[in-house]
Amino acid sequence: MAKVSVILPIYNVSEYLRECLDSVVNQTLTDIEIICVNDGSTDASPEIIQEYQEKDKRIIFLTGPNGGYGKAMNKGLDRATGEYIGIVEPDDYISSDMFEELYQVALENRLDFVKADFYRFSRSPEGKEDAQYENIDKTKKRYGELLNPSQDPSTIRFTLNTWSGIYRREFIEQHHIRHHETPGASFQDNGFYFQTFVFAKRAMIVNKAYYHNRRDNPNSSVKSRGKVYCMNIEYDFIRDFLMEDRQRWERFKYMYWWKKYFNYGFTLDRIGEEYKKEYLERMRMEFKRAMQKGELSREVFTELEWKKIESLIHNTEGFYEMFRSVKVFRKLLPFVPQSVKCFALKVMSWRRK
Amino acid sequence: MEPKVSVIIPVYNVETYLRQCLDSVCAQTLKEIEIICVDDGSTDSSPQILKEYAEKDDRIKVLTQKNGGAGAARNYGLRESRGEYLSFLDSDDFFEPDMLEEAYKSIEEYQADFVVFESDQYHMNTKEYVKNPWVVRRKDIPPYMPFKHRELTDNVFKTFVGWAWDKLYRKSFVTEHDLWFQEQRTSNDLLFVFSALVLAKRIAVVYKTLAHQRRGSGESLSVTREKSWHCFYDALTALRERLKKEDIYWELEQDYINYALHFSLWNYRTLAEPTKHLLKEKLCSEWFADLGIQGKPREYFYNRSEYDEYLELTGQ
Repeated sequence: MAKVSVILPIYNVSEYLRECLDSVVNQTLTDIEIICVNDGSTDASPEIIQEYQEKDKRIIFLTGPNGGYGKAMNKGLDRATGEYIGIVEPDDYISSDMFEELYQVALENRLDFVKADFYRFSRSPEGKEDAQYENIDKTKKRYGELLNPSQDPSTIRFTLNTWSGIYRREFIEQHHIRHHETPGASFQDNGFYFQTFVFAKRAMIVNKAYYHNRRDNPNSSVKSRGKVYCMNIEYDFIRDFLMEDRQRWERFKYMYWWKKYFNYGFTLDRIGEEYKKEYLERMRMEFKRAMQKGELSREVFTELEWKKIESLIHNTEGFYEMFRSVKVFRKLLPFVPQSVKCFALKVMSWRRK
Repeated sequence: MEPKVSVIIPVYNVETYLRQCLDSVCAQTLKEIEIICVDDGSTDSSPQILKEYAEKDDRIKVLTQKNGGAGAARNYGLRESRGEYLSFLDSDDFFEPDMLEEAYKSIEEYQADFVVFESDQYHMNTKEYVKNPWVVRRKDIPPYMPFKHRELTDNVFKTFVGWAWDKLYRKSFVTEHDLWFQEQRTSNDLLFVFSALVLAKRIAVVYKTLAHQRRGSGESLSVTREKSWHCFYDALTALRERLKKEDIYWELEQDYINYALHFSLWNYRTLAEPTKHLLKEKLCSEWFADLGIQGKPREYFYNRSEYDEYLELTGQ
């Protein structure tokens, strides 16, 4: 049995694929299987995979018509036979010691999953790389600790990604963890992320970065109407999963809405101007309902965030203005004391009334 | 060939309106349908009218039963149906020619378990069509389709109405969940409609007015509620049993209790004396407690004026 099965869901990434595959085939942990799932690419990606497959027998090449990220990932998961599972997105790349070191940590601690810090990078046209180190735990307090995410919803606060670590395959299979498969949808890593946290009893995060996540793809903004509500639909899926069990929902509902709040804000930032009003109205209705049902907890938000939520529910226009002005002043924000921020918020909502 | 839609119409002493209803069903632009008319032991000329229409249009099938109410009649029609989708219509209403076509297109496009469409009320005395914003509460429905009850942003039992005629159901969904109408005189559709609402994984809406509900006719069922004033309570408790059986009562309890209060008050308000007094006694002595309304704090209720009405009724 291979120590790690690495899954690459591949769709039209010929520009970046070689760099990615090079970083995977050159891992110092050599006992791995590399599952390339071609999701109906229309560029040279399949040829590149074939070329690598001829040189490296560890590469498994699966291909099929375009079915979306979730479906491609699930195909890879179905095929995997390794002890652990890693995910590498084909426009990213990884450091050569990633799987060797993470496998060691996972094995020693008998972990369901281990996750590491990572880099976000972009590259100038001349090839100069600009990389930023990302702490998966912004508080930096929980590295190296043996965590039980299934009983500790606050772990949902770690930076959401599914690729900066590895998962024990038996754990994934035991709980039937898979991605949501709606074709054309996005953000399907969110559902996978929640499932792994809800079920994991032994997990750890590591204060070292191995994974290099590409950030110079500015074309990822949401333009088409059909894509506007992808995030909402993924979070509908996550809620259905959490509500399969009453205790599970009671335990995770506050962090569910916490994460949703930030991801909706992120979406609002990315969608076309013509959709923002409608999107905000839907966001308002959803949060109003959550408040009505007692699913929002003041405890998990900062004072400022909670004020924003209240203003969202009671007075959308003010929230939108606030959202926009916050964007403008975001760079200054860290230097403004909390009391001033709260006062500014009040003034803005008064002005609306 | 199997029909695309089975239209099921219970018929009971509706000779005045039956022709208009059947005309608007036979003229549907979606042609591949079967029209199952269940004569519920009518004593007027309704059976003759049905016979006359069945001779003209071989898609019409007439079934007859001893008078047992619309619930029993719909169940009879449901058992006999062969269509992929089910439409349950009332014999005193009438419909836009493209109602079934629009509903069919939507249910196919979204692979939905059921679709809802908009409707208005036709007032006979004024001959006016009045818009009904509360039959489909747009602001509480997500701007994407399909969706489930969890995506509705107000009481799920108030986003659509608990009657069946403004919806088109997938028969395999109805069969799989063993959904039936209650065989009682009134409120016999509530259990069916609300069970379907919370069990459906995929719901779609057609935002077009496709049906016209007749109001102000003397023979309307709400008048006969005099004799069946307890039916609404039986419908509510049957719904609660179903929700518990499906293990979703815990997440819907607050919506359910709010709806139970709303529906109790509506039944009380629209009932005539002396039965009205009888209902009040029953509500205050037993039913408000049994339905979980009694003892809940004010904040528990979404609609504070309904809660005030409750306090007044119970003399608190």
